[in-house]
Amino acid sequence: MSAPSIASAKGDHFSLFGLPRKLWVEMSALEKKFLELSWKLHPDKFVNASAAEQELSLKGSSQLNDAYRVLRDPVARVEYLLGIEGMRKEGEHKQQAPPELLEEVFELNESLDELREAKASRADLGSLKSRLEAAEKNFQQKLDEVDAQLQEAARQWDAAIDANASGADRKAIMVRLNEMLNRRSYIRNLVANVQKELL
Amino acid sequence: MARTVGIDLGTTNSLVAYVDPQTGEPKCIPGPSGSTLCPSVVSLDPDGSIIVGEPAQRRLLTQPERTVYSVKRLMGRGVADIQDELKLFPFRIDLSSKNVIRVRLGDRFFTPPEISAFILRELRNWAEAYFGESVDRAVITVPAYFNDAQRQATKDAGKLAGLEVLRLVNEPTAAALAYGLHEKQRGHVAVFDLGGGTFDISVLKLISTIEGDIYQVLSTNGDTHLGGDDIDNLLLAFVHERILQQHGIDISPQSELAQELRKELISIKHQLSEKESATLRFPLPNGAVFVHEFERPAFEAMIRPIVDRTMGPVRQALADAKLKPSEIDEVVLVGGATRTPLIRRTVQEYFDRKPHTELNPDEVVALGAAVQANILERGVSNMLLLDVTPLSLGIETYGGAVAKVIPRNSTIPASAQELYTTGVDNQTGIDIHVLQGERELARDCRSLARFTLKTPPAPAGLPRIEVKFLIDANGILQVGAKDTRTGEQRTIEVQPSYGISDTEIERMLEESIEYAEQDFAERQAIEARTEAEAILAATQKALATQQAADLSPEERAAIDAAVGALKESVSGSDYKLIRNRIDDLNQATMHLAELIMNSAVSTALQGRKLAEV
Repeated sequence: MSAPSIASAKGDHFSLFGLPRKLWVEMSALEKKFLELSWKLHPDKFVNASAAEQELSLKGSSQLNDAYRVLRDPVARVEYLLGIEGMRKEGEHKQQAPPELLEEVFELNESLDELREAKASRADLGSLKSRLEAAEKNFQQKLDEVDAQLQEAARQWDAAIDANASGADRKAIMVRLNEMLNRRSYIRNLVANVQKELL
Repeated sequence: MARTVGIDLGTTNSLVAYVDPQTGEPKCIPGPSGSTLCPSVVSLDPDGSIIVGEPAQRRLLTQPERTVYSVKRLMGRGVADIQDELKLFPFRIDLSSKNVIRVRLGDRFFTPPEISAFILRELRNWAEAYFGESVDRAVITVPAYFNDAQRQATKDAGKLAGLEVLRLVNEPTAAALAYGLHEKQRGHVAVFDLGGGTFDISVLKLISTIEGDIYQVLSTNGDTHLGGDDIDNLLLAFVHERILQQHGIDISPQSELAQELRKELISIKHQLSEKESATLRFPLPNGAVFVHEFERPAFEAMIRPIVDRTMGPVRQALADAKLKPSEIDEVVLVGGATRTPLIRRTVQEYFDRKPHTELNPDEVVALGAAVQANILERGVSNMLLLDVTPLSLGIETYGGAVAKVIPRNSTIPASAQELYTTGVDNQTGIDIHVLQGERELARDCRSLARFTLKTPPAPAGLPRIEVKFLIDANGILQVGAKDTRTGEQRTIEVQPSYGISDTEIERMLEESIEYAEQDFAERQAIEARTEAEAILAATQKALATQQAADLSPEERAAIDAAVGALKESVSGSDYKLIRNRIDDLNQATMHLAELIMNSAVSTALQGRKLAEV
C-alpha cells in the first residue's frame, strides 16, 4: 500500500508550516497558518467523506496539531530541531548533574532530606523552609540564565542558516544547544522538586 | 433522508435537540409529557419491558430495586473505582464483575453503557416521533474531563442504541458553541459547567477568520465526580443524622424511604435558590413527622466545601491557558447546579465579571450538540471546533514511573510515536502499559490498556518497533504499530483495562431488543448499503476534481472497476460482500484522496483558498 502520510510526503514540522529550519518563529503568523490548515484538515470536514479521506484527515490533522504544539514552545522547538538533525537521540539525554553545579545540588538535596525528615517528625520547619526558598530562588535564577543562553545560541543558529554556514559550524552550535537543553531540564527538575516539597 | 440530532446524555437529565433548517436555530425536542428533559432514570418492568424517563422516575419510589438513576457515574469504571459511590447511591452491583460493572434491575443485569443506551433510544424515539422520520446519527456530549474509558463507554452506548455517533463533543465546548451562536461572542471565554454529577471548566478562544469562526479550546479541567448530586447527598446525610438522633430511625440508602427523602430534599435545594428559607416536613414510619427549616446561610455554609472544590480546577485551567482571571472576556454558566446563588456569586467574584445565564442552563449543552451535529452533517460550514484532550497520555517505564507522550490540553487529534526494542536475545514480546493522568507514578494514573508487541526472534536491541498513539477527535485512543526495519504494519489487540470488548459489544448488539425484532443480517445489509452509497457519492465527487487528472490510467481503471463491483454488490443482500467491496474501493481511491488532501494543504500554504484555485 502506497500511502505516505502528509508528513513523509511533506517532511517535518517546519516544512508542514512552510518554514525554514530556523529557531525564531513569528507567533502570530504561526497561529494564522495553523488555523488555515485546520480548516483544510480537521476530521469535522470529512464526516461524509470516504474512509480513506477520513484516515488521511486524521493523520494530517494530528500531525498539524503535533507540529503546532512543538513549534509554539521555544524549548520544544530546539529539542525537535536537534532531533530531526540527528543530534538528540532518544534516551541519550540522561539526567546527569552538570559538573559545575554538583556542590550546590548536593547541598540542596541535603536540605530537601532534612525537610522531609522534619515533616515526618513534625518538627519546626521555618528555618529549613527559608533555606530551601533561597535555594529555589538561586536555581530559578540559573534557569533564567540558561534560557538566555539558549536564546543566544538559537540566534547564532539562525544566523548560521542565513549565512549558509558549513556543516561543522552548524554542528558546533547544535552541540552547544544540546548541552544547554540538558542543563535546563536538569535545573528545571530541581526547581520542580523543591517547589513540590515547599507546597 | 434520516435525521441527525444532538444529545446531552446527562447524569440527572438527558435532552435531544436539532437545528431547525428554516430558522437555523437549535431547538430542544419535547417528549410525550411536553417537557424537553428526560430524567436519566431507567426501570425494568416485571413484564420485561424497559421504562425510561419520567415514568421510570416515579418507579424510583415504588420499585427502587428495579430502577436506576445517575448511571453516568458508573460509565467506564471498574468495581474497585466505585466503592465511594456505593456508600451514597443505591446501585445494586454484581460485585463479581471485573472490568465492566453490571447493575442489577430486578432479576437481570445490565452494563452502564446498556442502561445509557436505553436512555439514548428513548430520546431517539422522541425525535423520530417529532420529525416523523428516522434518526440514525447523533452527536453526543460528554464531560470535558471524561477519560478514555468513559468516552469509549459513551460511544458504545450510542452504538447499542443503534446510533452512529458522529462525534463526542465536550459539554462546555457545546455550551460555548450555543452561546457563541446566540451572542456572537469574541475573545476569551470561560465555561463553568456544574451538572448533576460532573464538573468541567473550559477556557476557549473565539477567533474570526476568513473561512469562518473558530472555537479553540485552550485548556480544560474538572472533576468527573462532583455535581448537584453531592449537594443532595450532603443534605441527605444531614437529615439522616437528625432523624437517627431524634427518632432512632436509621434510613437505609437502599430503601424506598431514602428515595422519598431524596426527592423532598432536591425540592428544598431548588427552593433555596429562589427563597431565603424552606421547610422540610417528612412523615416517618413511626407516625411522627420530621420538620426542619433550612435557612440559606446555613445551607451555603454546608455546601461551601463542594463549591470550593470547583476552584482548584478553575485555577489550573487558567494557568494552563496562560491567562489571568482579568483576561477572560466572558464567563458562561452551564448545568442545573449553577442556579445555586452561592455558586453564581463565587464565580462572579473570581472573574470579577457577571456570568452569562441567558440560555437555559439545562438545555444549553443539548443546543450546542445540535449545532455541532448540523455542522458535521453538512460537512462544510463556517464554524470549526478545536478541542483538547483533558488528561496527559503516558506510558509506564522502568520502576513504575510514567513517561508522558501527549501532554494534557493538546489539541486533538494528537499523536505521539515511540520506538521500542528488545532487552534480551530472542525476546518474543514487549509489554506496553498505557495510562492517562497527571501523576508521576503509574499506580496513581488511570490504566487505559495493556498490550504486548510481538517481536521476531532476534538479538537484543535489533528489532525496532514504532508504536503510534493517536487520540482522535472524540478524545479516544487508537494504537498502531510498525516494524520500522521491514515496514510491516501491525495491528494491535488492545485490551481495555475498563470497558467492554468489541466482541462483547457485538454480542450485546445481537441480543439487544431492537436487533431481536429485525434479522441481524438484514440490518447489516441496510447499514452496508447506506455506507456504500456514501462512498460512491464521495468517489464521484473526488473523480470530478482537478487532481483526478493526475491519476495514472491504471489507477483510474482500478477505481472504475471497484466502483462497478461495489454497485453490483449493493443490489444483493450479502453484507459481508458489500463491506469487502467498500474496502476495495477505499484502497483504490487512497492515492486520489492523498492528491486532493495534499493539494488542499499546499494551496493553504500558498495562502490561497481552495475555491480560488
